[in-house]
Amino acid sequence: MPGGKRAALLVLAVGVIAAVAGGAGLALTRHPVAAQWGATPSLPAPTGPIAASPQQRSAQVSLPVALTIPAIGVQTSLIHLGLTATGTLQVPSSTAVAGWYTGSPRPGAVGSAVIAGHIDSQAGPGIFFRLSSLHPGDLVYVRRADGTLAVFKVTDVRQYAKDSFPTAAVYSPTPDPELRLITCGGTFDPALGSYLSNTVVYAVETL
Amino acid sequence: MNVLRFIRRAVLLMAVPALLLCLIPKAASASTVSAGTGWVRLAHLSPDTPAVDVYLYSFGDSSAEQVLHHVGYGTVSPYESIAAGDYTVAMRAAGAAATSAPVLSATLTVAPGGAYTVAGLGPESGLRLQVIRDQLSTPPGKTLVRVIQASLQQHVVTVTWNGASAVSNLAFGSVSSYQAVSPATATLHVSGESKTVNTTITLAAGTVHTLVVLDGSKGLVLDNFLDSAGSGAAPTGGVATGFGGTAPKVPSPMPWVYLIGAGLLLAAGGGAAASRRRQPSA
Repeated sequence: MPGGKRAALLVLAVGVIAAVAGGAGLALTRHPVAAQWGATPSLPAPTGPIAASPQQRSAQVSLPVALTIPAIGVQTSLIHLGLTATGTLQVPSSTAVAGWYTGSPRPGAVGSAVIAGHIDSQAGPGIFFRLSSLHPGDLVYVRRADGTLAVFKVTDVRQYAKDSFPTAAVYSPTPDPELRLITCGGTFDPALGSYLSNTVVYAVETL
Repeated sequence: MNVLRFIRRAVLLMAVPALLLCLIPKAASASTVSAGTGWVRLAHLSPDTPAVDVYLYSFGDSSAEQVLHHVGYGTVSPYESIAAGDYTVAMRAAGAAATSAPVLSATLTVAPGGAYTVAGLGPESGLRLQVIRDQLSTPPGKTLVRVIQASLQQHVVTVTWNGASAVSNLAFGSVSSYQAVSPATATLHVSGESKTVNTTITLAAGTVHTLVVLDGSKGLVLDNFLDSAGSGAAPTGGVATGFGGTAPKVPSPMPWVYLIGAGLLLAAGGGAAASRRRQPSA
């Protein structure tokens, strides 16, 4: 009966289309997709006395205690980081705080101060999750133990493979107060349990 | 058959967007390559020369890029970052008009990554503007130190660091070469013909210091300028700051597998029903 045959052929057609659609969808979705972790929060700029750039006379600048990056909603205390037994940079044991490398100059003193933080934990975002979203011109605030603020302006955001990390560019001396913020980036290698790259944000003191 | 044509059209309709998806280019990441820049600072190191105004011009420009007013003896300005290229530095008496003839001028070529101190040196009667090339980086784990002798009263000075000789017989208006010393907190002893000065300073690894010997109201003064600083012991390699919780993951294939399965089932059922009905009825 023509009506029944047409219905059967329609079911066949729908089935073929569904199978082809499923096959195409499967083929097209084999690349990794990032989960959405919510809108970027933003914070107001911290208030407080902004200490002028220190004179080159080796005046000791007060220790850094907190970091605020309003553009990406970062607000954290700063712990102290040293070197591991193998000579690599120590990292904070918590993914919710950042740390200042005590072997680097103090933020706001002449030289390149280094601060590192985690991009994520095993479950979700860490304190420096949005670090790579910073742009030249964004401001970074470091509060010091004496209550003063050092303000830095981002000049560059770069990504480097960890096995060709530019140690000289990041750690070597500078004649002005500068800051480097470091976190992980690029592709995550599940076999290694770590990211293959680092994101480094360069910033110079501004008043 | 209408249905077959429908099937063909449907497959074609799905293939076109699928092909287009593959053609979307990945957004290129912009990398900022900054033009070559260098560092310049200005110094007044002539004891009997009054305060001056110092002008820095891009070579050929008539309006100055930088002006420092009322720079007195013993002043060393902080480094300023400037574009690589040719410059003129001019010294005028403090408060003199910007259009007046300079007392002294010198040309300076800034190489990318280079650092320079442009210093007024010598006695006022023999004042000169000297372009001194500075070093900003250190050998690993070391401190770099040099001495500028700007004392007119003590013509020649000798500097010892923790008792060991560092610079001997440095004449007035001279700049010693850099010395790499092991980091330490120790006593620096500067002695001239009739005056000495001692000071305890800390030289940390990864720092560069310029020590300036000056005439003070009561004798010699030693100023310690921190030219640059970095991490004395640089960590090796990259930084392990991530655990992968936010890393992109390949979506599960299961929803698509179910769709394929359902489609195959429907196709099989429909096809079987259609072919059964094709047999001629008795």
